[in-house]
Amino acid sequence: MKDVMFYFELHQPFRLRPINLTDLRGETRDIFWDEKNEEIFKRIAVNNYIPATQHLMEYGIRSSFSLSGTFMEQASRYCPRVIDVIEDYVKSGLCELMAETYYHSLASIWNDEEFTRQVSMQTRSLKNVFNYDPVSFRNTELIYNDHIAEMAKKMGFRNILAEGTDEISSRYNVNHRYAAPSGINLYLRNYPLSDDISFRFSNRSWKDYPLTADKFARWISLADGDLINLFMDYETFGEHQRPETGIFEFLKYLPRYFQEYGIDTILVREAELRHRTRDFISIEKTTSWADKNRDLSAWMGNLMQVSTFDRIRECKDKLGDLWGYFQTSDVIYYMSIGDEQDFTVHEYFNPYRSPYLAFIYTNAALDILCGKNYGKNVMQ
Amino acid sequence: MKISVIGWELPPAFSGGLGIHTVNLFSIIGHFHNVTIYVPDLGYDFPEYPFNVRKIRLKRAKFISGYAVIDDFYDAVMDYNDRVVESFDPDGVDLVHCHDWITFPAGLRIKEKYGIPLVVTFHSTEFDRSAFFNPQERIMAVEREGAQNADRIICVSNLTKRMIVDHYGADDRRIRTIYNGVDPTPYISYPEQKRERNVLYFGRVTSQKGPKFFMEVAMKVLELDGNVRFTVAGTGELLPEMKRFALENGFLNHMDFPGFVSFRRAIGYYKRSSVFIIPAISEPFGMTVLEAMISGTPVILSKTTGVGEALNHVLSADFWDTDRMALYTISILNHSGLLKTMSEFGRIEAMRFTWRKAAISTMGVYESL
Repeated sequence: MKDVMFYFELHQPFRLRPINLTDLRGETRDIFWDEKNEEIFKRIAVNNYIPATQHLMEYGIRSSFSLSGTFMEQASRYCPRVIDVIEDYVKSGLCELMAETYYHSLASIWNDEEFTRQVSMQTRSLKNVFNYDPVSFRNTELIYNDHIAEMAKKMGFRNILAEGTDEISSRYNVNHRYAAPSGINLYLRNYPLSDDISFRFSNRSWKDYPLTADKFARWISLADGDLINLFMDYETFGEHQRPETGIFEFLKYLPRYFQEYGIDTILVREAELRHRTRDFISIEKTTSWADKNRDLSAWMGNLMQVSTFDRIRECKDKLGDLWGYFQTSDVIYYMSIGDEQDFTVHEYFNPYRSPYLAFIYTNAALDILCGKNYGKNVMQ
Repeated sequence: MKISVIGWELPPAFSGGLGIHTVNLFSIIGHFHNVTIYVPDLGYDFPEYPFNVRKIRLKRAKFISGYAVIDDFYDAVMDYNDRVVESFDPDGVDLVHCHDWITFPAGLRIKEKYGIPLVVTFHSTEFDRSAFFNPQERIMAVEREGAQNADRIICVSNLTKRMIVDHYGADDRRIRTIYNGVDPTPYISYPEQKRERNVLYFGRVTSQKGPKFFMEVAMKVLELDGNVRFTVAGTGELLPEMKRFALENGFLNHMDFPGFVSFRRAIGYYKRSSVFIIPAISEPFGMTVLEAMISGTPVILSKTTGVGEALNHVLSADFWDTDRMALYTISILNHSGLLKTMSEFGRIEAMRFTWRKAAISTMGVYESL
C-alpha cells in the first residue's frame, strides 16, 4: 500500500516595467508591467491552469495547490475563469488549498511579524475567494528551516513541506511522514521522482525516455517507503512540458496504473490519517528547492541581489501598499546569475533576459517611488 | 605543414590590432607548423620569433632616415602585393593565409599561379571602416574577390560573417568564426586603482567608432547627475567636433581629452573608470571590450560590436540609443552592487578569450583543407 502526494505551486509575480531614461526624468510613476503580466497570465491560463485542472478533476487525481495572493489577484483581474475551474476542483473534494505568503516573498528569512502578516493576508484571500480554511502550509519555493516550521505551527497549521535535499535524504528516507522539532508534520520532497516529470519528461536524451504512466507507477511501487511526495511547479503540465509532449496523456493514464500497482493519491491534510510519524527532523540551515544548491543562493547569490533586498526592506514607509509587491521573491530572483552554465536557463525565466537589466529596472523603479538614494547602502 | 602568411603589421613595425593579432596567433601556431610571415620592409628589425619573417621591399615608399613613408595607401598596398607574388617561394607550401584586403591580392594570385589553397581572415570590412558611409568600391572589389575565391574564410565574429555573406556572397559553409584572444598579464599585474566617477571612451575618434553617441550619453547623464567626468582617450578626425559639441552644450568642464594614450597608460584609464562605453556603428570584434573587462571595468557596448555576441556580462544597446546607454551608465555609477557584480563576472568571462583557443581553432581550419 503506497500513497503519492502531489503538491503544485501556482504563482505569478507582478513584474516591474522596463524603465527608460524618460521615466527617470520624473515623467511617470507607472512602474508595473501590466501588459506583460496580463499576456503571460493569459497564456499560462490557456496552456496550463485551465486544462491541467480540468484533467486532474476528470481523472480523479487528488492534489494540493498553493496559490500565492498575487496569483489570485491576477487571476481575478486577467482571467476569472481560472478561479472558477480551481473552485470546481476544490469543491469536488479532490483538491486541498494550502497557505503561503501572499506575495510569495522572502519574509520568512528576515521578519517574523511581516511573515505572519503576509500569511494572514493569503489565508484571508483563500477565505474570500474560495471560502476555504487551509490547514497545511508551504513557504515560497519550499524555503524551510526549523524556525519557519515553528512559525507555521504557531499560526495553527498542522502540515508543512520541505525539500528532500541530498543531505537530508542521506540520513532519512524521504518517503515517510516526519515531524519538525516544533511538532508540525513535515513532508519532504522526493526530488528525483518529481524531476522525472517536471524536468526530464520530454528529454529525448534521457535514458528512460519516454516516461509512460506504466513505467512511472512501477517506479513508485518499487520506491522504498510508503509516502512519495511529488512537489513541482504547476506549469509543468502544459507550459514547460507542452501538450505535444504527451504530458496530459501521461496524467490520464496515471490513475489506471496507480490502481494496478495499489497506489493512491492523497492530499497533504490526509497524510497524518494514514501514516505514522517516522522521526523528528531538525533542519537549522535554510533549504529550498531552488537551483542546484537548494539553499538561498538563487536570491542571495550576488551583490546586486543582496543590495536590492536590503534596499527594499528599507523602503517600507515610502512604498506603502506597494511594499509587498517589491518583496515578491521573483524580483530579486531575476537578478540571479548562478553558474555560468545556468546563465541561459535563468535567461529563459527572466522577462528582462538579463540579471543586470533586472537590477537596473528594479532600482530605477525604487528611485522613482522613493527618491534616488532612499534606502541605499552607500558604499562608494 | 608549411604555411605562408601574408601579413601587413608586425610589432614593432606598427602595433595596431592586426599586428597584435599576427604576433600572438603565430607565436603559438609557429610551435606546431613551419610558418613564414611576409611583411612590408619599413626599415624595422624584428626580434626572434617562433616563425620566419620575410621583409618585402616596397618600390613606391619613400625612405626617410631609415623609415618608410607611404604617400598613397592603396598604391602602396598593390605595390606590396606585387612584390610578395614576385618573391614568393612556393616550394612545399601547403597553404597561404592572408589577413584583410591589404593582403588578399597576393594570396589570390599565388593560388591562381601555383594552386596553393588560400585561407583569408576578415578582421574588418570596408563597410565597418567607412561606417557604411561612402565605402570605396575598389576596396570592396578586393574583399569580394577574397570572399568568393578563398578556400576557407575566418571571421572575428558572426557579425562580420553575416556581413560578408550578405554583401560579398561568400559561401557560409566555408566560413568559421574565431574570436580573438587577449593576454591578461599586463592588466592583472597593473596595480588596482580606486574607481572614480569617470566614464571612458577609448579608441580612434572616427565615425566608425561612434564617438558622437558617447558625447550624447555624456550630455544626458549630466542632465541627471552633475558629479560625473567623461574621458575621450584617442585621436582622430572627429576630435575637434567632439570638443565643440561639449563646449556648445556647456559641459566641456566635465570632459577630458588626453589625446593619444599609450598601451600602458590605457590600463590606468581602464582601472580608474567605472564605465567603459563603446558605441561603435560597426566594430567587427572590439578588443578594447575585453581589455576593459579584464581590468574589471563594466562595459556598455553597441549591438554592432562583434565580441558582444559572445558575452553575457556586459550591457548592450543600439549604437544610436543614447537614452538607454545613459540609463545604464547612471545605474552603474550609482549602484556599487551592480558595478562590482559586472566587474567580477566580466573579468572571469573575458579571461576565457585566449590566443591559445584562437590558435587551436585556426589550426583546425588549416586541417580541414
